[in-house]
This record gives sequence, structure tokens and C-alpha cells, in this order.
Amino acid sequence: MDLALIQLLNGMQYGLLIFLAASGLTLVFGIMGVINLSHGSFYMLGAYGALTLVGYTGDVFIALAIGVPLAFAFGIAIEWLFIRHLYDRDHLQQVLLTFALILIFNEAQKLIWGSYPHSVPVPDYLQGGIKISALLSYPYYRVAVAAFCVALALAMMFVIQKTRVGRIIRAGESNREMVEALGIDSRLLFRFVFASGAALAATAGIVAAPLESVYPGIGEPVLIISFVVVVIGGIGSIKGAFVGAILIGVADALGKVYFPAFSSSVVYAVMAAVLIARPGGLFGRAA
Amino acid sequence: MLSTPRPLVILVLVALLAYALALPFFGGTFALKFASRIMIIGIFVISLDLLIGITGMVSFGHALYFGLGAYSLYFISPESAAANGFLAIPFAILLAGAVALVVGSVAVLTKGFYFIMVTLAFGQMGFSLFFDTKIAGGTDGAYINVRPVFSIGSQQLLNFSNRTAFFYFCLAALVFSYLLLLWLVRTPFGRVLQGIHHNEARMSALGFNTYAYKLAIYVISGAMAGFAGVLFAAIDGYVAPELLGWRESGLAIMMVVLGGAGTIYGPLLGAIVYSMVEETLKSATELTAIFSLVMSGATAKWLGGIVANSWSMALGFFLIAAVLAAPKGIAGFIEKFAGEPKRAKPREIKPPAEHRERAKAMQLEVDNLTRAFGGLVAVDGVTVRFPPNRVHGIIGPNGAGKTTFINVLSGALRPTRGNVRLEREEIGGQKPHNVARRGLGRSYQRTNVILPFTARENCLLAAQAQHPSPFRFSNSWRREEEDEAVANALRAAGIAPDRADIRASNLSHGEQRQLEIAMLIASGAKLLLLDEPLAGMGPEETGRVTALLRELAADHTIVLIEHDMDAIFAAADTLTVLVEGRLLAHGTPEEIRMNAAVREAYLGEWGQEAKP
Repeated sequence: MDLALIQLLNGMQYGLLIFLAASGLTLVFGIMGVINLSHGSFYMLGAYGALTLVGYTGDVFIALAIGVPLAFAFGIAIEWLFIRHLYDRDHLQQVLLTFALILIFNEAQKLIWGSYPHSVPVPDYLQGGIKISALLSYPYYRVAVAAFCVALALAMMFVIQKTRVGRIIRAGESNREMVEALGIDSRLLFRFVFASGAALAATAGIVAAPLESVYPGIGEPVLIISFVVVVIGGIGSIKGAFVGAILIGVADALGKVYFPAFSSSVVYAVMAAVLIARPGGLFGRAA
Repeated sequence: MLSTPRPLVILVLVALLAYALALPFFGGTFALKFASRIMIIGIFVISLDLLIGITGMVSFGHALYFGLGAYSLYFISPESAAANGFLAIPFAILLAGAVALVVGSVAVLTKGFYFIMVTLAFGQMGFSLFFDTKIAGGTDGAYINVRPVFSIGSQQLLNFSNRTAFFYFCLAALVFSYLLLLWLVRTPFGRVLQGIHHNEARMSALGFNTYAYKLAIYVISGAMAGFAGVLFAAIDGYVAPELLGWRESGLAIMMVVLGGAGTIYGPLLGAIVYSMVEETLKSATELTAIFSLVMSGATAKWLGGIVANSWSMALGFFLIAAVLAAPKGIAGFIEKFAGEPKRAKPREIKPPAEHRERAKAMQLEVDNLTRAFGGLVAVDGVTVRFPPNRVHGIIGPNGAGKTTFINVLSGALRPTRGNVRLEREEIGGQKPHNVARRGLGRSYQRTNVILPFTARENCLLAAQAQHPSPFRFSNSWRREEEDEAVANALRAAGIAPDRADIRASNLSHGEQRQLEIAMLIASGAKLLLLDEPLAGMGPEETGRVTALLRELAADHTIVLIEHDMDAIFAAADTLTVLVEGRLLAHGTPEEIRMNAAVREAYLGEWGQEAKP
């Protein structure tokens, strides 16, 4: 029972983390119409960036403060160098180009950080955990990560609901052509959205770094799960990404307890079930 | 529609074939193995092109079937003896096809981005099944200790341990697969697939069950990938879960795009070029040799070492350059030099006897029909009857719900309440293709033809849709009947004979609208729903099409939406006025002209002026 409870908590916390990555992906597709396979690479760069920055500063939260603006700037560079050529191209070419970017990022990671797994320390003040029973406790750092993700999710909701940028993004979710028709510089909007997506994925990578080891290809499972979340939630929907991420996090965690042999298939089964019932995702427009 | 390969393409393919036939006489073991590998990957990628390039379904999980095919050789091979190839190959094809049927039945429900992601997720599901469980060696993969042999009784016909025999078998398999696909896409079945690629909604409205077609091609393509997979497993006698994974699927897409999607031979060239570039980038010596052509030997060696060390990064840049510089792939270059495709000359069809029998068309009854979108009621309790062999106009101000009304009649939208009866049979809420097969054809507000097809090919599709079994592979069956229906439809719609074999995208706007009507005639529909058939036409074209509509009423019932008041009052037998989703009036043009409510709500000024 305690194990199931811990798994459930882990699942929620994992779901929150996935939400950060998936929300970036859903925005990039919903607003820009670009399928970004290299999204997981930003998560990976975040995790490796945390490795280096924690090495210098000793604290993952300082690493976060430095790393996120860097990731945003990096996102702008990638958009300018590669992604902006894709806006008028079909999905196939987007898949091709962003797949090629994965090859490049993975190789760059190997050149800079090598092929061995590394670990990133949890800050001293978050060592230990909340006692749940005599044998089990729940780590403070995981609680902190969950709280951080919730705070960030709330901040995103605020930005999207209450600010001018948010209004444009919401308009873009429902009708991309409309935004352009309103006379908003879509180039600038796209660059901002892409960089934000990259920053969100990197944020997830940075805060996740102390939770598990940092290893080559760390971004790829995140990419796949983020796609599952986006499909479940409905393309372009932040709310959908949130619900989908929590659903997938919990399904994954409970799957590990109850169907250990097929745990990784559970999330795909959930996705298939959602799609049969609603081919456009939970909060999406009809596909 | 995909044409027969141009002479230049045939020349390239025959040269490659000649090279491959000769290779065992001068190539070493490595060359034979490398070439076998490319040919097997070639089968895999052309099967993917069937989905991506021909049908427009971008599958990101095609390696699932490739991997399953590979693993089936492991499943069927005894521990230390050879499997019989006569069993192993059909087993792989059946296994891959069966899984494709299950996965496809869900995946094909989705489109576009969702389809890409759903196929990706199913591929990963297959990958994790082999990666996480011990059903076939788990993460480490599994070994097939003895290569398969083909034997009948004790008679051994072919042994895959023999590199040369295996090589020729792969070559034969590739040639067979290529010709099979070339034939398949040119059958009536393949014609429908290409129609779905360019305009699925139109195909559905013509009466094709697009879900069934897409599922069928998904299974065929999966089975073919399974065939490639079982051969692939025989190269090294080793299979690993990565074969099913998304990287493998991504690489296959890569080769399809690199070569040129939708051409079948293109992806094959893509597989060749990709494999050679990869092999070159991996080898420091080859790179050094290439670089030394433009720089000093020492620098070349240094640079070659660096690039080979990070070859996958170099490959990434190569792919980005390729996609940005040549969006149509290698085939795009070849097509540029190959010139316009030659199309088969149509047979001469005699015009039918001048006086057509006045055939009874169909009657449409609409009873208390309502369609709401959330709180917005677009069509509100409309009851109206459209008797056969008449032209019925539907008019009303913008936003009156006219297009929604037609969409409910054609099955594109489900009614919220109420009934639609075609010849006393309920059709409300049925799928568009079922409605179409009952004899109701529709055209769209925006021109909706299959642009890359010629006018004749568009009509052929329409004629095919109405046959009792449109799902077929024979080119000859019913061909004469169809040719005749098509020729008559083109003539009836007023498309000049010399324009019939031009791509629809090169026809004028007016001709495209006429083509839509021709498609409806060819389809044999008895009731035509036309959404603004005169939109964007000049006065002369309007007159011609109006006359055509009058003529069509001899054996069709026509229901049309139109904004051109002069034309519709002249052409229609009855007029139905919709305002804010409600039926305001229904009657002859004269009655409508005199109707005070209509004049107040809608006709206003126009009614005054038009009065003599």
C-alpha cells in the first residue's frame, strides 16, 4: 500500500515534469504548425547543462536561473538557423529536419560531455525526506520539484489567460491564420514561442537532473512521452497537456506496480483508448 | 496520378539492375553483404512510400513491422538448425500484416499530426515489448544460429548461408516488390489511394469508404515491411529491439524523403544514397581521400579523422542540407530531366443517341431537420420536400445555414434532430460515403477536385465509386463501361475533348467547376447537391452552366445553393428560402418573388428592381 502511495506520488510528480516538456511541444505545434522532434534534445541539453552549472555553482536552482535564459537564447538561435525555413513546408520535411537535428545534438553531447552517465547532487538543504511510514519516506527534493512545476503551470495559465501575449497564443491555438490576419508579426511570435518551448523543455531537464542519472539519449523517452501527452490532451491545448501529463504520469506509475512486465506499454494503451473515444484528443478540435 | 516510369527513370533502374546482376562476379564478401542490405532496406522504404508518398499517411512507426518480420525469423528458427524459408517468409508476412491490422484499425481513425504520433507510439510500444520483456532475448537482442534454407522434403533449393544465393534472392525480391507496387498503385485501388492523398473529403463524398482503403494499404505496406524484415534478420543472423524503434522508423522516412516521396523508385535511390553517404562518413580513410582532392594531405587526414569520429553529426548536416536544397528529393532532379509524362491515349467513344430517355431521378424529403453547434442552432426545424427531376434552389443571406443544411443532407454532418429521406429511406446521420453510394452526389463551395489528376482521371474515380465493388485491383474489369461513362460525363459537362487529359490544376476556374459536375454525372448520382456551382464565373460561363443544369434535370434531381439571384430565379423550378436557420418560404420563383416576408427579410432592393 505504501509502495503504491509512493508510486502514485512519483507518478504525479513525473506527470508534472512531463507537463513542462509537453506544454512546450504543444505550443510549438499548435501555434507554429511545426512538428519538432528535436524537442527532447532541449530536455537533454537542460540536464547536461545542469550537470555543468551545478559543478560550478553547487546548487541546481542557481543552475536553473542561469540555464533557462541560456536555453531561451539557444532556442532563438535554432529557430533562426533551421526552423524558420520549415513554416511553409509539409510535415514530412519538418520531421526530416528536426530528426537530423537530433543526430547533431546527440553527437554534440557526446563530444562535450562524453558517453558515461553522470549524477547531479540534490542541494544540501533538500536532503532527506518526509516520513510516510517506519521504512519509507518521500524525498524533499521531489516535493520541491512538484511544487515548482505547479507554480510554473499556474504562472503559464496566468500568462495565457491574462496577458496580451497570452491572448495571441490563445488565438493562435484556435486559428493560426487568424493571428496573421490580425497583423501580428508572426515571425517574431514564432521565434518567441519556439524559444519558450525550448526553455520549458530545458527547465524540465534541469530540475529532473538530480532525480535520475544524466545519460546520453536522456531526452528521447521524454520526447516520445511528450508526444503521447500532446495527442491525449489535444494539439495546442495547454489544459489538455496538463491533464494528459498527469494521466500519463499516474498510469505509468501504477502500471509499474500492477503490470511490471508491460509497464511501458500501459501509457500507449491509455493513449489508444483516448483516441478511440476522441480522435482529436481530450481538449482538441476534432481531428 | 502516378504515370508509368519515364524512359530516363527506366534507364537508371535498368543500369542499377545490370550493375547488381554483375556484382557477384567482381565484388567481395563485404560488397555483397552491403548491397544485400541496401536492397532489403530498399524493399522496406518502398513499402513505406506506399503510405507516405502514395496515400499521404506519414507513418512514424513503420519499423514496427520491419522489426516484427526480423523477429519472426528468430521465433521460427530451431535452436541449432535452419528454418525453412518457405515457412519463415509467409510467417513474417502474416505476423506483420496481422499486427498492422490491429494497430491500423486504431491508427487510421486519426489524421495528420495525430497519425504521425499514434504510429510513433505504437512503434515504441512494440519496441518496449521486446526491450523490457524476455520474450526474445530482451535488451541484448537474439541470435539466429543457422540461416534459413528453402527446401521441399529433403530437396534443398536455396541456402541463405551462401552469400551469392542470398544476394540474388534479395535482388529478385526487390525487383518483384517494386513491380508489385508499381502495378498496385496503377490499379483502380491505387487510383483511389492517390485520390485520398490529395483530397480525402472529396473521395468520401464520392462514395469511397476511405477508412477501409487506408486500413487496407496500411496492412499491405506492413506485410511488405515484414517481408523486408525477415530478409534483414538473415544478413547477420542477429535481431535487436532497436529494429522496431523510432530511430529506425525515422531513418526510413529520411530515405523516402531524400529519394523523393510518391515515386516508388525515388525512395529506393534514397536508400542507396543514404547508405553510401553513411558508410563514407564513417570511414576516415575514404574521407581523407575525398578531402585531399581540395586540400593538403595532412589537413585532409586531420579533417577526415574529425568528421569520421562524429559521423552522425555530419550525417545530420547532410540531411538538413538535402531537405532544404531539394525538397522533392533525388527523384525531383530526375523528373526535371525526364520531361512530361506520356499518358495513355483514350479510346474513341461514340456519343450516345441524341434523345435520352427521361429517367426518373430521386426524391429527397427533409423533416423537421435541426443541427446545432453547441448553443448555436444553424439549421432549425426545416421541413421541405424536393420532388424528382426538378432544379431546386436554396437561397438566403450569409449565415442562414445553407451550407450546414447541405452538409447534413450529404452526411458530412450528423443531424441533431429530424429526418432526411432519400426515396423514403432514412439517410440522416449516415456516413458520407454511404449516402453517396445511395445515389446522392455533392459539389463544394470551394472547387474540390483532385488537382494532380487529369479531368478524365477525376471522372474515372467518380465512375469507379458507384460500382458494386469499387474495392478492386483489376484494370480491365468494367473498364469499357467506365470509359464510356467518363466520356459521356465530360461531354455532358461541356469539357472540351482536348482539355480532358490535362491535369485539373492546369484547368481554368470555370473548367474546374464544370469538372466537378462532370464527376457527379460520371458517378451516376441521381440527386445532386451543388454548393454555389456558379461562384466566380463570368456571364458567359454562367449561362452555359445554367443551361447544363436545366438539361441535367432530365434525369437528375438538383438541389443547389446559389448567390447569383438572376441565374437562380431563371434556372430553378422551386426556391427554398432559409433565414437564420429557419425555413422562411418555399415555392416557385414567382411565388417567392411576390412573398412579402422574403422581400422584407432578404430580397429587399433586388426584388424591387427585378420587377418588370
